[in-house]
Amino acid sequence: MNPEEVEFIAENKNVSIVPNFNFDRIYLISGDVGPFRAGLPVQVPIWMATNLRQRQKCRIMAPDWMDTEKLEQVKEEESQSRFFTKMPSEHYMVEAHLLLGVAAEDIPHADEIRTILKDIWDMRMSKLRSSVDAFIKTGGSYAKLDHLTTMEINSIRPLLPHALDELYKLQKVVRIFMSFLKNITLQNEQYQRKVF
Amino acid sequence: MESNDDVALSDEEPVTAQKVLQSLQEVWLNEKFCPELLQHQSDLVDCMLDQIQQMEENLRKLKKNDFRVVIHRMELDRIRYIVTDYLRIRLNKIENFVIHVLEQESSRNIEDAYLSPPELKFAREYITLLEEHLRLVALRHMPTNIQDFDKAKVAVTPNLSSHVFLRAKQNITGVVIEGDNENREEEVDLDENSQHIMQYKSVANYLKAGAVQLI
Amino acid sequence: MKCGSLPHYFSIEDIFATQERLPCKFVVPVHRLGFLDPSSESEDIAVGTTVELPYWLAKSLCCQRRNIVTVEMPKIYKEPYREILKADACVVDLHKFGLFFYEFGTYLSQLEHRDSVAIGSVLVQTFKERFRQVMDWAHNSGTDPLIIQRLDSLEKALFQEGYQTRAQLDAWLNKGASQITTAEMVINYKKRKLAVLDDL
Repeated sequence: MNPEEVEFIAENKNVSIVPNFNFDRIYLISGDVGPFRAGLPVQVPIWMATNLRQRQKCRIMAPDWMDTEKLEQVKEEESQSRFFTKMPSEHYMVEAHLLLGVAAEDIPHADEIRTILKDIWDMRMSKLRSSVDAFIKTGGSYAKLDHLTTMEINSIRPLLPHALDELYKLQKVVRIFMSFLKNITLQNEQYQRKVF
Repeated sequence: MESNDDVALSDEEPVTAQKVLQSLQEVWLNEKFCPELLQHQSDLVDCMLDQIQQMEENLRKLKKNDFRVVIHRMELDRIRYIVTDYLRIRLNKIENFVIHVLEQESSRNIEDAYLSPPELKFAREYITLLEEHLRLVALRHMPTNIQDFDKAKVAVTPNLSSHVFLRAKQNITGVVIEGDNENREEEVDLDENSQHIMQYKSVANYLKAGAVQLI
Repeated sequence: MKCGSLPHYFSIEDIFATQERLPCKFVVPVHRLGFLDPSSESEDIAVGTTVELPYWLAKSLCCQRRNIVTVEMPKIYKEPYREILKADACVVDLHKFGLFFYEFGTYLSQLEHRDSVAIGSVLVQTFKERFRQVMDWAHNSGTDPLIIQRLDSLEKALFQEGYQTRAQLDAWLNKGASQITTAEMVINYKKRKLAVLDDL
């Protein structure tokens, strides 16, 4: 999957906007949106919000977590923990990228938020690389991936799964041969038992 | 312009178009990340195509500058992307594994067929063309005793041991994974909503039963 | 090379890997195959002759059923090199010893040879040790493209995948939010305009 497809999936999430127009409810296949009343917040999917914003038909309201204080806390926790911590949104990076991309003026402290998020992202990416390396070194083929977001998982695909696939093939040859040898030894033992 | 009427899928309770779209998105991602071809979901696809067509007819009745037109068009494009990408991924797999796919399909009843009727037609025509082609460019120039087109020998099969990312949609206990040494097996439990990476073969049955989602 | 899939009939990498050569010593005389040994003028192959044969041929000549040759492992899979790989796998230029270190090695370890298990284990160990390097190179934009010449074809394929993913991700991260760069055509156009002005 490429990053644009992860973005595509994340765009289905809702965000609050404040429209500057009046309009009745719209019956989308993916669910109803509206009615729109100028000045009153309403929830719409992100793909729609960014389009309305680009056409200057609304103001975007930052999601609760898109706040410097809250994000500093997330960053602090992430830096204190050896593991991945839970992010405030499963698509935090995409949401920030999209909303700050079209509506930086609507979101207080946009630049600071961008910087903190970049720090969190970088920290997690470097953790991810270390855990991937450690995982390969154990030679295992199963791992729990709690709190990794879709974009983060996608950043190690196909490299990690393919490396595991190849490692599995290499290990399997050794495994088959070992059991083959064991069988031979067993047979020999049985043979010897018969002789003596 | 109401398009959210209940849509009846064959033999099932009426579901909303919204639900169908959600299922189609899950099915799309499963097919995208799954090493083998999954069972076709023509019901979902046909339902969405009907919805798209209906919506386009409705849009034709609206004035060009109606506020809704742009929004509806955007949504239609998004749905069309999912449908086409889904069908394209399947065609890709069918081409890749054509011998294997047809072989497996021949042992299934019509009601649990994995290929939709048009896909089955495509697969059959594809294998015929492939065989004709190989005969024309290579086999007929070979000594007579090795002119046979041995399907079993040249079949490409999906790697069921390949690793996939997944999310458990419910609590699952006792998923069997191959241990790292010799033939020892281990069992793991998956909590609802937890995410994992493991070999496809360990979760294939849970995926087909709808208990896990590939991510 | 396509990672993650199984080797199959049409896989060109698999065909290449199975035609890598290895030294084989004839343990029985073979009539009329003397031409296999370019250094000999005899019509037949004598016992003790060593010839390099492709893997696919060697395999069918050295099995228990038909013991015509004994195979010797290529240098990189022999004990001294295995020790070097165990000591520090990352410094070895795998490419120098053949394009398919892992795949060919996998096939070799399937031969009934006393070193089979040792070779199999060293493949696994080497892959694990070198993976971090492959991943770091793929994820680091400053990687010298020449350095990947030291990777075997499997590692190179993994490198390419990692590199591509990272490039896509970087492009996505830099899209929109960052500064908009001037298209080259526009810059050149301005330069040309200036040049014209200079001429006046």
